[in-house]
Amino acid sequence: MKRFWYLSQLIFFLFPYSIHAADNVVNIYAWANEIPDFVVRLFEKETHIKVNISTYENNEIMYTKLRTTKKNAAYDIVMPSSYFVDRMRHHDMLEKLDKTKIPHWKNLNSQFLNPTYDPDSSYSVPFIWGVTGIFYNSNYFPNNSASAAVPTIPGFQERASSPRRSIPSMVATSFKPGMVGTAAEANNSIKKWNDLWDERFYNKLMLLDDTREIFSMGLLALGYSPNDSNPEHIKAAFLKLKELMQNVKVFSSDTVVSIIIDEDATVGMSWNGDAYKAFQDNKNIKFVFPEEGFVIWVDTFAIPKNAPHKEAAYAFINFMLRDDIGKEVALYTTFPSANAAAQKLLPAEISQNPIIYPTQDILKHGHFQTDLSDETLALFEKYWEELKMSG
Amino acid sequence: MRISSLSSSVYFTLTYLFFYIPIILLIVYSFNNTQYSLLWHGFTWRWYVELFSDSDLWISTWHSFFLGIAAATIATWIGLLAAVCLYRYRFFGRNFLNGLVFILILSPEIVMGASLLILFTLVHLPLGFMSLLLAHISFCIPFVIVTIYSRLVSFDKNIFEAAKDLGAGDWLIFLRILVPLLWPALFAGWLLSFTLSLDDVIISYFVAGPEFQILPLQIYSMVRSGIKPEINALCSVLFCLTFILVLMSQLALRKKV
Repeated sequence: MKRFWYLSQLIFFLFPYSIHAADNVVNIYAWANEIPDFVVRLFEKETHIKVNISTYENNEIMYTKLRTTKKNAAYDIVMPSSYFVDRMRHHDMLEKLDKTKIPHWKNLNSQFLNPTYDPDSSYSVPFIWGVTGIFYNSNYFPNNSASAAVPTIPGFQERASSPRRSIPSMVATSFKPGMVGTAAEANNSIKKWNDLWDERFYNKLMLLDDTREIFSMGLLALGYSPNDSNPEHIKAAFLKLKELMQNVKVFSSDTVVSIIIDEDATVGMSWNGDAYKAFQDNKNIKFVFPEEGFVIWVDTFAIPKNAPHKEAAYAFINFMLRDDIGKEVALYTTFPSANAAAQKLLPAEISQNPIIYPTQDILKHGHFQTDLSDETLALFEKYWEELKMSG
Repeated sequence: MRISSLSSSVYFTLTYLFFYIPIILLIVYSFNNTQYSLLWHGFTWRWYVELFSDSDLWISTWHSFFLGIAAATIATWIGLLAAVCLYRYRFFGRNFLNGLVFILILSPEIVMGASLLILFTLVHLPLGFMSLLLAHISFCIPFVIVTIYSRLVSFDKNIFEAAKDLGAGDWLIFLRILVPLLWPALFAGWLLSFTLSLDDVIISYFVAGPEFQILPLQIYSMVRSGIKPEINALCSVLFCLTFILVLMSQLALRKKV
């Protein structure tokens, strides 16, 4: 019996913080790979607040965990994406933010304040964001002379093409007058979602393995809003997407970047941050902001109701909004930061890069995702099953 | 004869290749000089350097090891007592209890995870190390019982009769005869529990709290944003440690014989 006693002593003394949570602590439930380790250590060093960080890989997991464990899982900060902010604030799961405790709020890019999913920005702090658009490999689809492909993005070609590619593209530019002359040439360029339906992409596309993203594409291709909940429109989108299935080579969400770099798929939909990651290893990768519009997702910080360490949570959020920290995060994730002050600190090749930070004119075509009713989501799921079966 | 020995060696080679090729690939990729691409880009130690400077990952690894050792040790103790009890004593409901052990082994993890979460919520146990430990002990116990019980039934019952005849009490029989004879089974049960605890995702997901992040959950959550070769490096290190442990135990056993 003595051995039992020793064992229990061992457990209780080696892990004092598991018995009673210290006050000087902040418990964070975050997206994996969005908060770099060294930033957390720096925060601990500066404030002497201990950070416990757990990670999740999709909103549903975080949401379920918070719903099922109400009081006995004491999270102080969570990171819902746009439409989950909408859902969580409707279910009264989020604390109203006291902005006087977040002096660095002023660093935020005003474009991401008061979004449709959180009209007064009173529950969420935008952190990083991204756009779902089209990527393609210019080695396989060279006819996309960039000026024709993305007329709305000045400087896109110069930025997106590498030194390695610059000579051929210069050649292409110098011969352009003759080449662009034909109508076929113009038809060959990829600039909108509808172009993906082209039969030359037979069995070539990679699509994101995500119901909401796919239906957003279908709805946008038909000219509807990605937040449309009219069953007729959703059905139309489903029929439209069904035609696309023969072009699809792979659905992916985990290995998107490898698939793009290794040229397993040469055209398809991706997030701009992933396209940029791929571009760093494979200079032929181009990214297009589709003309019909596109979805902008935002990952935010929010404080759940009943968070036990609210002061520490504010301190952490404020720390993350500091310009130098925002810069480190942006470099680490390669996704665009909602922090305007941090964007200024980034090297020009990133802060001026139209893949990562598109111009205001382009961003105007973006839609924030808002929460949809359970009926609409069920409808999506039903059609999604059918789509995957047919593909 | 010749053909059959050839075909059997081919068969074994193929079987072992099937087991080990993924692990070898994982180790090879941990030296690949690229973050995302799955093609070979040259040799590098970069991911090992990053691994050893990533304190977050090490904290989770340490948490997982500690949890595994604690859960396996406690589960082995409880399992030993339960197995001996089921074997040595006849009492009402014994067969029923024996059956319940198998039900626990066969029941889907998700059922156990959800039910433990409901229980912990009812008794207001904060989710964290304690909830994880209790959960891991409870899913390890049945495996320990089965391992030890199968060894017990191979014993000659006369040993116990003889011991009793010579005046040994129950406690003495347990300590002097059962435990020494059961030593390999105890060790096997402990290792089995440790491994189960180390790689459990489903039950842990339900009962993990904010203060105690463990390795399998962390690796799992990294999948969406792309597994870094750093994880390959960590898995390679863990695999090599296992390899050395197994080698050492084999050598130790050989000496005894």
